[in-house]
Amino acid sequence: MVALVVATAIYVPYSLRVPAPSGGSAIGLIYGSVGFCFMIFAGLLGLRKKFPVWRIGRAQTWMRAHLWLGLVSYPLILLHGAFHFGGPLTRVMMWIFTVVFASGIVGAAIQHCMPRIHTAQLPMETIYEQIDHVRDQLAMETGRLVESACASLDGELSRASMGQLAAAASAGTDWDVTVADGLGFNEQASRQLRDFFLSETLPYLEKVGSRGMPLADPMRAKAMFQQLRILLPAPLHSTVGDLETICEEKRQLDRQRRFHLVLHGWLLVHIPLSYAVLLLGAVHAVLALKY
Amino acid sequence: MQRIRTTKERARRIDLMYFARPHWLRQWRFWLSCAVPLVALGWLFTMHAQGGQRAFSSGPLSRSHAVFTQRCELCHLGRAGGYFQNVSDQACLSCHDAPLHHASQTFTPACSSCHAEHKGAPRLAATADSVCTECHANLHSRDAALHVARSIAGFGEDHPEFAALREGRQDPGGIKLNHYLHLQSLLGPSHTRVQLTCLDCHRSPRGGNEVWPYAGVQSRPGSATREIAEVRTSRDASYLAPPRFVENCAGCHWLDFDKRFPQEQVPHDKPYAVHAFLEKRFAEYIAAHPGEVHEAVRFDRQIPERPAVARVARDTREWVGFRVEEAEDLLWRKTCKQCHTLRVGTGPLPEIAKSNITPRWMPHAEFDHDSHGMMTCESCHTKATSSHETVDVLLPSIKTCQECHREQGPAKEFAEGSCFECHQYHNWRDEQPVKGKYDVHQLRSASAWRTPRS
Repeated sequence: MVALVVATAIYVPYSLRVPAPSGGSAIGLIYGSVGFCFMIFAGLLGLRKKFPVWRIGRAQTWMRAHLWLGLVSYPLILLHGAFHFGGPLTRVMMWIFTVVFASGIVGAAIQHCMPRIHTAQLPMETIYEQIDHVRDQLAMETGRLVESACASLDGELSRASMGQLAAAASAGTDWDVTVADGLGFNEQASRQLRDFFLSETLPYLEKVGSRGMPLADPMRAKAMFQQLRILLPAPLHSTVGDLETICEEKRQLDRQRRFHLVLHGWLLVHIPLSYAVLLLGAVHAVLALKY
Repeated sequence: MQRIRTTKERARRIDLMYFARPHWLRQWRFWLSCAVPLVALGWLFTMHAQGGQRAFSSGPLSRSHAVFTQRCELCHLGRAGGYFQNVSDQACLSCHDAPLHHASQTFTPACSSCHAEHKGAPRLAATADSVCTECHANLHSRDAALHVARSIAGFGEDHPEFAALREGRQDPGGIKLNHYLHLQSLLGPSHTRVQLTCLDCHRSPRGGNEVWPYAGVQSRPGSATREIAEVRTSRDASYLAPPRFVENCAGCHWLDFDKRFPQEQVPHDKPYAVHAFLEKRFAEYIAAHPGEVHEAVRFDRQIPERPAVARVARDTREWVGFRVEEAEDLLWRKTCKQCHTLRVGTGPLPEIAKSNITPRWMPHAEFDHDSHGMMTCESCHTKATSSHETVDVLLPSIKTCQECHREQGPAKEFAEGSCFECHQYHNWRDEQPVKGKYDVHQLRSASAWRTPRS
């Protein structure tokens, strides 16, 4: 900021004194050189990240330098060109630089705010690159849960859980309770749980992103699971609860994917255009000095 | 079945080889980082291939140089073996002559320091005030003698009053003219009442074919001074043509000379021409009327100091002499004297003082009447309607100009008030013709430059 104030303080009397301030004047060249050096330094952050073990300052210091020097370089270049974008090359450069500058500011703001939102909204956050793998795991886990619950509802002792088997064993001692009752046999409920799994849960879990699907909406999902609880016998409510938790985790993974795109997507604009403006800037410097 | 959330179960969910698979976002970033600079470079090469060096131009050329946009090397002259190709004065002077501003100026700036090119300006001559005030804000000259005010920082600030209006300055004009009287209701041609307006006498040379309402029938070219003739013959509408007797006065100011010639006037010319005309006309008359030679003729004009004694001529020659003498008496003492100052000359005929009409009141500044045509004359020339004396300078004061013309502020609410609006830096009177050295192909086409013309 001090550099910016100093640069402005020098520029104001200079622009009043000189009829047509330009980048070719002595002061204009100084602004241009300093601004371009700042741009180059800001661009070196990418190189620094490639070699994190180099002992050339802390990454945090580099990032701060990148932010501040990048921020100052734009007004310096504007002063260099006397707030004119000039000819075709310089005009293209300035527009690219403007996009780089704006995307940098937006990116800095996003990276400043997003982590807090991440922490608050994504308690089940995972490593971004693992999202697809975790999603597959969730789908498989859900399949196992449903399969297990349906087996007991279908009355298959071989697929009943230890608790269900214990309940079935004790059932024969009571007059009005059958083995099937002990297992919680309910073909209707089994069909409904399986249908719900096949039509709603599995497609939702398998799909990358889930915009427009009923389970993607927390309120609708809550209502659907509530309905399922009414349809299914009470012993299976814990399974329904697990399904609901898994769907919530999937929702968070989807949200994390979106957040990640926002958090890093701007770099798709910022970095390539930065390299382009550095390249064009070098060409401009060589040719401008020549002419 | 309860959901198992043990640490081992959680750990199993992680794919340990995830880092070995590049993520699409990183891949895209990499490829875009390669592609975008390459596209930029490709664009640059394409521009260069299509438009020569135009792509590297620092801005659009001024309107007058725009035609050379493809030909950077015309101005950016490189030295043999040198890398730099900066614009030097030599490049400008190869096409333009740039006369010195003043012989005693302490330094001569480079052309490009005032005429900033590559700004897309419509006029390169529209220089900034700061280049003028660099010297004129605190003027020094080589010979220590100043011909203008020492400190002028701008038109709206401390620009002195126009020289013609400064203390003790008078109109040097030799024609006796009462502006006030001429703007009253007067007896005009054919004894009708007329109301003159400014434009009846002062009109731009580009006034077109509009008839002068008070013009006479005679015209005699070639008597105007060089400056007046320049203004008259110019199609430039900046300056109003100085009045001419034949166009502006003759309709009312009748140059009759004798009752024998009721429809004739003497020519509006030098005294010797008038004298020759009178002798010729009276000789012709007496030849046609020989019986009138010995008639006693009483001078019937009411001219002061002229005795009304009847004279009888002895022969035609003496008769002509008497009549010419009487007619000249009338002309020199009354008709001509009404407007001109007559002095006793070396011969028998008087000398008429020069009219000394000032065609341009501000020789070191430019003014354009045409661009001020939306205003009434009196709104600027406020003293014209009340001026009784010829010596009154009716030029508007600088304050009148400053009401509209100021240095442009951020609001741009004023008419242009920069130095260049009125003043020329170069003394164009000393301009030398420049010998052209390019042909059309050299100026226009880069390929033609390289290819020898057949």
